[in-house]
Amino acid sequence: MKLLTRITKPILLPNWSQDLFLTIPRIVCGYLLAFDFGAAKFGMPWSPIDNNLGLFEVAFWFPNDVASYGGIFAIAPAFFAWMGAFAEAVGGIFLLLGLQTRVTSFLIICTMLVAIFMQQINNGLWNCLAAMGFLWITMFYLILGSGKFGIDYLLSKK
Amino acid sequence: MKTKLAIITLLLSLILTSCVQKTYHKIVVFTLDASEIKNIKTVGIKGNDKPLSWSKSSEMRAIKKDSLYQLTITFETGYTFTEIKFMVNESLEFENQDNRRVNFSTTDTTFYKAKFNYKQTNP
Repeated sequence: MKLLTRITKPILLPNWSQDLFLTIPRIVCGYLLAFDFGAAKFGMPWSPIDNNLGLFEVAFWFPNDVASYGGIFAIAPAFFAWMGAFAEAVGGIFLLLGLQTRVTSFLIICTMLVAIFMQQINNGLWNCLAAMGFLWITMFYLILGSGKFGIDYLLSKK
Repeated sequence: MKTKLAIITLLLSLILTSCVQKTYHKIVVFTLDASEIKNIKTVGIKGNDKPLSWSKSSEMRAIKKDSLYQLTITFETGYTFTEIKFMVNESLEFENQDNRRVNFSTTDTTFYKAKFNYKQTNP
């Protein structure tokens, strides 16, 4: 319980306006992950109808992509694909709300590291930029937590 | 403790692996009318979904020389549609415009008939 409280409790900045400023990238990145990158490959109520995805279903092509990374990914491609897509779509919502921000950030960091080093690295630096952007942002929230303007702050206030 | 962990891992794996979108075999017969093009050398299709791709065109065979060309493709997909463009003599139709959208038939084979560089509604 103590550990959960420690993980949840955000580090607050000296002034509330600084916390407010740092809320912007969290909300934008959370929104993009949940409603764009994630929703295209993971079945959410707002996933594009054309993608024909059931709730919490991972897109059929994603496990094949993951299997092509080789090694441990080829052993359990469906598992890793599901976890990666879940981290983006559901993790994006959690990040947006500032709910379990550190746990969510950790999941997103793992997903982005895989995206950079297993998927995009051979396509050049330019193609790595989106994943790198999410990686840098979530590295900060892994340390700071949600800040003052997130659900974590409300949960750990007492 | 180890047994419990193994059971939980197994159950979790089963749950997660069953949450992959189902795929279906979708057969599409593409027929292209290229009668308005002169000196036809090659006719092909490029598209979003495998076995089609945007980097290499799949060749269509002539069923009426210099006029009608056809290719049957089986897609293994979870989507209800695919996007394509036709290519005649290395010239891709609808440059800088939207792709053709081909909606798969829910029951059997989809027959997609088109005229090169003319938009049409999907059957």
